[in-house]
Amino acid sequence: MRLLLALVLALPAFSQHLNFVACPVVRDTKTVPCFLADYKGETYFLGIQQDITADFYPPQLLHEALIEGDIAPGPRVCGGIPLKPLHVSVMPEIDRACNTILPAEPGIDAPPAKRPAGPSTRLAPVSTAQLPPQKPQPPFVARDFIIHYDFDSDFLFARDTRRLTDIAEYARVSGAKVIEITGYRAATLLTDGRTLTEKADVSRLRAERVAGVLKGLGTPASDVHWIPEVTPANGSTDFENRRVIVHVVPEPNAAHQ
Amino acid sequence: MLARVEAESPPAQSRWIEPGKAAVLPAEAEYDDALGRLGILNASGPIDTKGHPFFEPVGANGRACVTCHQPAYAMTISAAAARERWSLTHGKDPLFAAIDGSNCPDLPQEKESSHSLLLDRGLIRIAIPWPPPVHRPEFSIQVVSDPTGCNTSPRYGLDSAHPTVSVFRRPRMAANLKYVTNPRPQFALKLGGLADVDPETGQPVSMNFMADAREPSLRSQARNAAIEHGERTSPLPEADLARIVAFESQIYVAQIQDRNAGKLDEPGGPPALGPRAMADHRPGVLGDNDYDPVFQLFDAWKQPGNSESRASIARGSDIFMFRQFWLRDATHINSIGLGNPLKRTCATCHNAQMTGQDLSAGWVDLGTTNYPTWTEPPMYSESRELPVFKITCNQDAPPHPYLGRVIYTSDPGRALISGRCIDVGSIVVQQFRGLAARAPYFSNGGAKSLRELVDFYDRRFDMKLTDREKQDLINFLGVL
Repeated sequence: MRLLLALVLALPAFSQHLNFVACPVVRDTKTVPCFLADYKGETYFLGIQQDITADFYPPQLLHEALIEGDIAPGPRVCGGIPLKPLHVSVMPEIDRACNTILPAEPGIDAPPAKRPAGPSTRLAPVSTAQLPPQKPQPPFVARDFIIHYDFDSDFLFARDTRRLTDIAEYARVSGAKVIEITGYRAATLLTDGRTLTEKADVSRLRAERVAGVLKGLGTPASDVHWIPEVTPANGSTDFENRRVIVHVVPEPNAAHQ
Repeated sequence: MLARVEAESPPAQSRWIEPGKAAVLPAEAEYDDALGRLGILNASGPIDTKGHPFFEPVGANGRACVTCHQPAYAMTISAAAARERWSLTHGKDPLFAAIDGSNCPDLPQEKESSHSLLLDRGLIRIAIPWPPPVHRPEFSIQVVSDPTGCNTSPRYGLDSAHPTVSVFRRPRMAANLKYVTNPRPQFALKLGGLADVDPETGQPVSMNFMADAREPSLRSQARNAAIEHGERTSPLPEADLARIVAFESQIYVAQIQDRNAGKLDEPGGPPALGPRAMADHRPGVLGDNDYDPVFQLFDAWKQPGNSESRASIARGSDIFMFRQFWLRDATHINSIGLGNPLKRTCATCHNAQMTGQDLSAGWVDLGTTNYPTWTEPPMYSESRELPVFKITCNQDAPPHPYLGRVIYTSDPGRALISGRCIDVGSIVVQQFRGLAARAPYFSNGGAKSLRELVDFYDRRFDMKLTDREKQDLINFLGVL
């Protein structure tokens, strides 16, 4: 029993969640660069350079990054312990200390990349973000669509624009008259016990930006509001609270096109 | 062989077209330039300039559109052409109109030094009201160096009755515009939202012409240019606007003859060269790939038997497409989700097939106007040409992502329109065509030659280009 307990303690905590702020570190390789971060004497693998159709957007040198992820089982990648799922936010202010590019070294390789460091190739598979949108199919029911954000940001990246197009199409095809937009702001409980809180007006900025886009896509919101209070942090799912929820209620008797 | 080809070419045209002069601009024309000959194609056929609103004076100062958009200079002007006009007309050409063809209207107009930015760098004064009428600015702006005197002028400056920021920019090419105005996609990645909509049509616009994307359409650009540059006191008639836009939309420009590589548009050669290729190709094609690249394939010139000039041009195309380097600290490239740095190539930003613009609404802070990477002297007090502004971003606004909250710049670029700190120094990417006919380069004329242009990129991104690679790139750019 004592031996078993010792073995358990020696194993990495695979399900451990980490929230920390650190400078990203770029590791060059023979192919695409890897993005890493050091925290409490350990190096973590965040992801590789891809393009804007990818799920992972790399952090930026000259900025700290807020890293929120679970330690994933398996071998090191590019010299770091992988985090997955992972959400990386680029912190807005400049930090000139964040400026490390490590040279490529034998034995440290990036995982296979959809796109090489140069131009794209015919061999690159088409990502779902590049596929034409599919027309929504009935049954049309009330749905909540959620858009997540980087810390303190209301910027809509390319990955979000596809989501907004889907929302607009669902609202249009289902004849929705009720399209309610709610913006939220959040806090993040860091693993070291500190709490980061988003700026006061970001919930409004998020809601208004989404409303502007949906209006431009021909599906104006019936109601736009925002919650100024901060969603409390729990240290594990905090990034999910940096969000806008679009509540779409289809018109029951609409002639669906 | 070359002599025979030249004999079959249309004769070189007389160069400068004066407003109001009766002439016929042929369907195809060629003009000698620094590296060979520039080709012009009017897809709708010969253009009779007499009575045509593009070629007739539009307002009080005698200027026409053609004054700053001359076919011989790739539908813009060069600094050398401006200097030649000064000599020929003793400064009386409408090009040198006080309003923006001089460093400031309140300078003594008879003096050559009062027009130095136009004569030396091909720059026109752009007077932008401050603050912007639509967006509350996220920053304050202070003039810290004013060699032209215009930004501190009691009548024209930032503290005048009509506060104005004067920046100095190269006129853009009024050609190949189906590529430049192509609205794709509806989302503007650099805005984090939808592209602007043309208030006249309700349709999204490219936001990809003008250095700061301030005009939504060719119509609005022509209408406002007649007032701002032509000093017209009433709006241009609708029929004139329509004719101007129709003319601009059918004219194609590209280099057609290289003095070393010969005829550029011959059958079997690289398919993207020459004005006919510009007319025939479709806009909106992403060329950042290895199978249908930005300026298509130069394989024909890689074959044995081609001259060293052609081989060098083909190598230059490969450097442009495939030579990797660390692309970093470029706002609206590194900051839109691609990461900083980005190990890529020239074609990442210059990705629009046939022009080398950015297919997305394309303003980028390349660093040409912002200290410390700018094209100006390291000490701004030593700058005798462009103004220098100090931008201080509000604490509640997102800062410039790579320069922070205090920025020194010779042209805030898009930020003068958007009011956003993140846009300081961002300039819309230009098309690469007709380069040999229209030096100097960059929006501020900061590169006097293609060599200086390539050197800037080499320094800015630490590309470590060899001398041969630089020359290959120059040769490649020269045939576009």
